[in-house]
Amino acid sequence: MLAVSIVLQPLTLNAQEAALNAATGTPRIARPSDQVLVVRGAKIYPISGPPIENGVVIVRAGKIEAVGAAGSITAPTDARVIDATGKVLMPGIVDTHSHIGIIGNPPVAANVDANEGSGPVQPQLRAIDAINPSAAGVRIANAGGITTANIMPGSGNVIGGQTAYVKLRGQTIEEMLIPGTIGGMKMANGENPKHYGRRDQAPMTRMEVAALARREYTKAQEYKRKWDDYNKAVAAGSKDAKAPERDLGLEALVQVLDGKRIVQHHTHRADDIMTVVRIADEFHYRVVIHHGSEAYLVAEELAKRHIPVTLTIVDSPGGKLEAMNVNEHAAAILEKAGVKVAINTDDDINSSRFILREAALAVRGGMSEQGALRALTINGAEMLDLGDRVGTLEKGKDADFVILSGPPFGVYTKVLETWIEGEKVFDRRNPADLRYATGGYDVAGRYPKFDAATVGGAQ
Amino acid sequence: MTRPSLRCVLLSVVVLASSHTVLAQKIAVVADKLYTITSEAQGQPGVILIENGKITAVHMGSNVPAGYTVMHAVYVTPGLIDAKTTAGISGAYNIPADQDQDEQSEPNTADVRALDSFNPREMLLEYINTYGITTIQAAPGITNPIAGQAGIFKTVGPKTVGPTVDQLAVKPVSAIVFNLGESPKEFYGKKDKAPTTRMMTAAIIREGLLNAQAYQKKWADWNASEKKDPTKQPSRDLKLEAISLALRGDVPAIFNAYRADDIDTAIRLAQEFKLKLILSSVTEGYLETQVIKQSGAAALVGPTLQRLESIETSNASLEDAAILAQAGIAVALMTGFENYVPKNRVLLFEAGVAAGNGLGFEGALRASTIDAAEILGIADRVGSLEAGKDADVVLYDGDPFEYTSHVTAVVVNGKLSYQRE
Repeated sequence: MLAVSIVLQPLTLNAQEAALNAATGTPRIARPSDQVLVVRGAKIYPISGPPIENGVVIVRAGKIEAVGAAGSITAPTDARVIDATGKVLMPGIVDTHSHIGIIGNPPVAANVDANEGSGPVQPQLRAIDAINPSAAGVRIANAGGITTANIMPGSGNVIGGQTAYVKLRGQTIEEMLIPGTIGGMKMANGENPKHYGRRDQAPMTRMEVAALARREYTKAQEYKRKWDDYNKAVAAGSKDAKAPERDLGLEALVQVLDGKRIVQHHTHRADDIMTVVRIADEFHYRVVIHHGSEAYLVAEELAKRHIPVTLTIVDSPGGKLEAMNVNEHAAAILEKAGVKVAINTDDDINSSRFILREAALAVRGGMSEQGALRALTINGAEMLDLGDRVGTLEKGKDADFVILSGPPFGVYTKVLETWIEGEKVFDRRNPADLRYATGGYDVAGRYPKFDAATVGGAQ
Repeated sequence: MTRPSLRCVLLSVVVLASSHTVLAQKIAVVADKLYTITSEAQGQPGVILIENGKITAVHMGSNVPAGYTVMHAVYVTPGLIDAKTTAGISGAYNIPADQDQDEQSEPNTADVRALDSFNPREMLLEYINTYGITTIQAAPGITNPIAGQAGIFKTVGPKTVGPTVDQLAVKPVSAIVFNLGESPKEFYGKKDKAPTTRMMTAAIIREGLLNAQAYQKKWADWNASEKKDPTKQPSRDLKLEAISLALRGDVPAIFNAYRADDIDTAIRLAQEFKLKLILSSVTEGYLETQVIKQSGAAALVGPTLQRLESIETSNASLEDAAILAQAGIAVALMTGFENYVPKNRVLLFEAGVAAGNGLGFEGALRASTIDAAEILGIADRVGSLEAGKDADVVLYDGDPFEYTSHVTAVVVNGKLSYQRE
């Protein structure tokens, strides 16, 4: 075991605060500090440019003020300084597909609210009405280096509901939500929505899955036209124009048609992916392919339409028929074809603490390290329309970053600290935080006194 | 993806077929960093000589005698051992047609054998072979309190030709498997059948063991009788015979347990019936290392990459293997079973997680080779690279546990089973 010495400057906490943090984990502050923060000494992967050895990041009011090599930028003298010499610093990871908080821990029925099983079309549902910000999954994701997530309903419905673009901090969903965002629209095809067939209900075939989607978007087109006509009439001064009846589901689908909401589409098999593409073309909406187990088989089709893919990377094919052609070279093939690729956890399918590992497996399969780093950061950010806010370390962007103990894709590398908008949300040195990284957070108090030099705490 | 031309395919088949013939005879594996596991020097340049399926010699340096086909790699280790999995009796598809690991018809199925469900042609076995796993203990699933008989098998790779399940078996019957915790009571509870509580699960196991004790005595008495009257000969009972294997200590008793108190139950039952106890899963084992250490039980730990979908697995720790090993408990690693979109089929990755979470490189390597072999009682054949042992060798282009390294070739019983294209 490599013993990693800790040289980071400790936070100045009073004893009471420190004791509380040790018991409950790093606080979930959602309000950026006014004090300027300087992180120096790390090898920085800004993603927007080449890596910087011995770099410096300056943060003010939750935003990045400057990033550069030591000596090239000047930090204010009254700043709080974090020494990250010998460490690696990268942007906070963006998870484009997560169910944390909407599938709790453990994911037993009482904690699971991902799939409204009463019918296959649910565009009116909002993930924000089911996400539990106190779920362990949020802290586990921080332990994995994730700072931004798209938390979604499940894949049991053709139209599953409205997703939420959030920062992984805060005590309420309102504190988590990224201001100005309305989330995406979750859709699914292939095997999962066909489960209604077991109850002798539609859909029981892929044909009906597609027909349901087309029917709803046709209704949404008509609904939009009615409202457009009404708004035009009002604008023209009509006094007797009657407002159409509001429909919460169709309203959300109109946002899709208007390009305000991206369809985040669960789909595995190549023919299912092409069905997604066909319907998106018909209704002219923006779509991101999620999972995309066989996307590598239609890489050229996706590349020429500029449709991005966010992959869920698992260790082996199967477990379900539509994932039988899972291929460790998928990310590399898509990258080579010019498809924009992100890597997601689909937590609880993959645990959020393993997202760097997933990207490492993509590198194992031939993806470039640079491509894999982009797949964890800016590419995902762009798939959520958040590319101007997160995903790289650039002046003006949110100060979301991760400090690693070593190379991003090393099996021995640990996430040491995770920061969101200039506030630390995870610190591996904090015993309570550590247990979200290793597991055992519910029984931390019973944890034995093992040698911290070789296990756990040292890293 | 570009499809290779037919000519190309034919050419490679010819080359591989011929190389396979040669490789089946005499192979020299030359390593920049050789990990024999058991010899003094580890991670030094070295050579493994293979003939007729066995390792004939191991020496340091890089000299190869004449007449050997040479294979070279940066890292070389023994074939990896998955100490408990359902691979081979469960298939990759996860549909009823390829799932034969759980006989859910009654809670005591001691007479069922993994051997009789094991499909050597299962693609999952070929898949894990390409990640260096050459030996597995295939065990019945987690539903039944008395689940049946595990078996230890070699794996076949994409290039392996022909062995039957009987030829692959290292130990056709390697352990009797018992299950505690949520699974038995949840499955049978839903059908309003016993067990619906942990109490009943333990009671079913104790009853089975008591009946087997009585059965053994009946036979002992009859065997000891002078006349051996055929009319008084006890009738055979395959379930009780199987449980007797564990009672006599012919095979270990594997108790699958997650929660700490279920681990305690396993120890309590094993002590009552003087079983050779191996714990599997051992999820909360890190909370009571001293209890496990004192029981003398070995621990098959894992899998860490599996979804933590039950209450009894929700305290799983990535450091479990490290903490148990540090307490002096014999630790091997296992992949078990995950149904929907599994992540835990590749022992190499489980070993990587263990290596990175306190067990370290050498600890993880031992846990997936010699320590597993010793716990499973097969160290005379596998688990290290020594003259006389089976020639199960894995070649890598970097640190085996680094996610970005690759297995470049796998040799099982002296034959090439996989080669990276």
